[in-house]
Amino acid sequence: MTPHPLGRLLNILDYALSSLRRRLLKNLLVFAVFTLVVFLFASLLLTRGALGDMAGRLLAAAPDITVQQLVAGRQVPIAAGACERLADIPGIGICRGRLWGYYFDGENGANYTVIGLPEAPERWPAGLSGAVQGRLPQPGERGKAVLSTAVRQQLGLEGRRFFSLFRPDLQLLSFEAVGTFTASSDALTADTILLAEADIRHLFALPEDQAIDLLIDVVNPLEIETIAAKIADRLPGVRVVSKGRIAKTYRAVFGWRSGITATTLLLALAAFVILAWDRASGLSGEELREVGILKMLGWQSGDIILLRFCESLLVSLFAFLSGWLLAWVHVAYFQAPLLRPVFLGWSVLRPQFPLLPPVAAADLFLVLAISVAPYLAATAVPAWRAATVPAHSVL
Amino acid sequence: MRVILDQVRKVYNSGETNEVVALERVSLAIDKGEMVCLEGPSGSGKTTLLSILGCVIAPTSGSASIGDKKIARLPDHFRTSYRRQLVGFVFQHFNLLEERSLLENVTLPLYPLGVSPKVRRERALPLLRRLAIDHRRDFPVRQLSGGERQRAAIARALINDPPLLVADEPTAHLDRPLAAEIMEIFAALKAEGRTVVIASHDPLVFTHPAVNRRLALVGGRLLADPSGER
Repeated sequence: MTPHPLGRLLNILDYALSSLRRRLLKNLLVFAVFTLVVFLFASLLLTRGALGDMAGRLLAAAPDITVQQLVAGRQVPIAAGACERLADIPGIGICRGRLWGYYFDGENGANYTVIGLPEAPERWPAGLSGAVQGRLPQPGERGKAVLSTAVRQQLGLEGRRFFSLFRPDLQLLSFEAVGTFTASSDALTADTILLAEADIRHLFALPEDQAIDLLIDVVNPLEIETIAAKIADRLPGVRVVSKGRIAKTYRAVFGWRSGITATTLLLALAAFVILAWDRASGLSGEELREVGILKMLGWQSGDIILLRFCESLLVSLFAFLSGWLLAWVHVAYFQAPLLRPVFLGWSVLRPQFPLLPPVAAADLFLVLAISVAPYLAATAVPAWRAATVPAHSVL
Repeated sequence: MRVILDQVRKVYNSGETNEVVALERVSLAIDKGEMVCLEGPSGSGKTTLLSILGCVIAPTSGSASIGDKKIARLPDHFRTSYRRQLVGFVFQHFNLLEERSLLENVTLPLYPLGVSPKVRRERALPLLRRLAIDHRRDFPVRQLSGGERQRAAIARALINDPPLLVADEPTAHLDRPLAAEIMEIFAALKAEGRTVVIASHDPLVFTHPAVNRRLALVGGRLLADPSGER
């Protein structure tokens, strides 16, 4: 009788499944460790992917170029008139000074980002109105603020509308919270207090002719780097930060952090593969007897190798799928509590933006390549050794 | 199916200090439908001879054939293939997989042939019924009695409908009534036209009326028929 190739494969797969069920405890242990390793790796990649996507979305709304004045390597306010010195550079669309700063709340140990709202509504960021529950300070209106929910909690504003901030000369300024940033803008606004530009200038005691930095929009995005270089030439002592450079920095930071974590996990994977090798290569007397019986009954060495391969493939593939699924749930549903601190660091007011892991085939294949492939390789030689057990060993 | 061995010699660990000559120039012809009983003390070469007849190992020299198939110089892959087609083995210690069901054990030779589960079952059930163990088909082998295990081993040996049955001490671990029952099964298989070779110390085997010939092996050499008949 000529063996039927597909039927043979299905039968051996069936036999492999029943063998795994029979050695349930041992296989569950390998499955659990394998799943854990894949889970950690996949969580790392999915978190990095989600953060990268989020950074990309944030950068889409960022100005093309930011210009900062430096003194002794530290950022200081820049003359608002600097925009006039750049006016004749072709390709610059809009140049404007931005007022913003950090306010340290000693009582709560928190840092707030205080941002100035331009007087003219046409200079407001696109979509700002939609990101606020309540209202924005009207043009010319003073003493009104929009806060994030987290800042409201830090300031203890539940049930109150007024709060106070200190000027540098310790004069206390009072503000009324007229709006709250919506949760969907949390990635950008978690630690933000939005004030009228006149209020922020007063709060930080900034002179009228100064801004914290300059924001520049470029007409043709392909020319951003060229124009950035021209600005650096035109204004000595400034740091010119392009959108592309910020993106590179994000990638470098996430890449560095994920690299460190991945290295640690690779060591765990290596240990697991060694464990798999050790377990698979030590054939028990019972396993040797089983192989001898099967060979005596007409199973070829190739059938035994295929059987062992199927066993390893079933364990590793199911562990891979389980690990990946758990990682997805960990990142997308639970927001990666195990890895978020690694990537985002520590903060009292941490942005609560949702992590939405992208579906990246490259990541999927990467984890497959560094988990399933080494496992199969580690069990290949023991499988071959099992297959060479002679049939007459059971006689 | 006629089985022929001609000047078969088998040496283990050839050329080494622990060299063992297991068979020395053994010549033998067994006709289709014949039942032959092989006797001899432990270490006389019975199992080696059965292994060569059963396409398990190759002789060091000499020729061997089952029907028109030359089996002495075959690579392992082809020997396995012939073993699957031509030979059914019944072992002294049953060699069943204890944790698997009776049905699974009996159908094990069919797995690498790609036979579907349905057909495997269809081929096994009549055999189990014939051997009166079909009511135990889903039981794990460890729950079967000695007699049931030996019947299971016979069913497994017959699942591929082989023309040659080779049994190594098939009654060694059975009580007398059970051993007699097993011999009746072998007699019935012989009556179907199968060639049966049994190695045994058991008088119940070699005095059974179905046995056509008794052969004695001593020190790897085949001696005259101990019963005096040829």
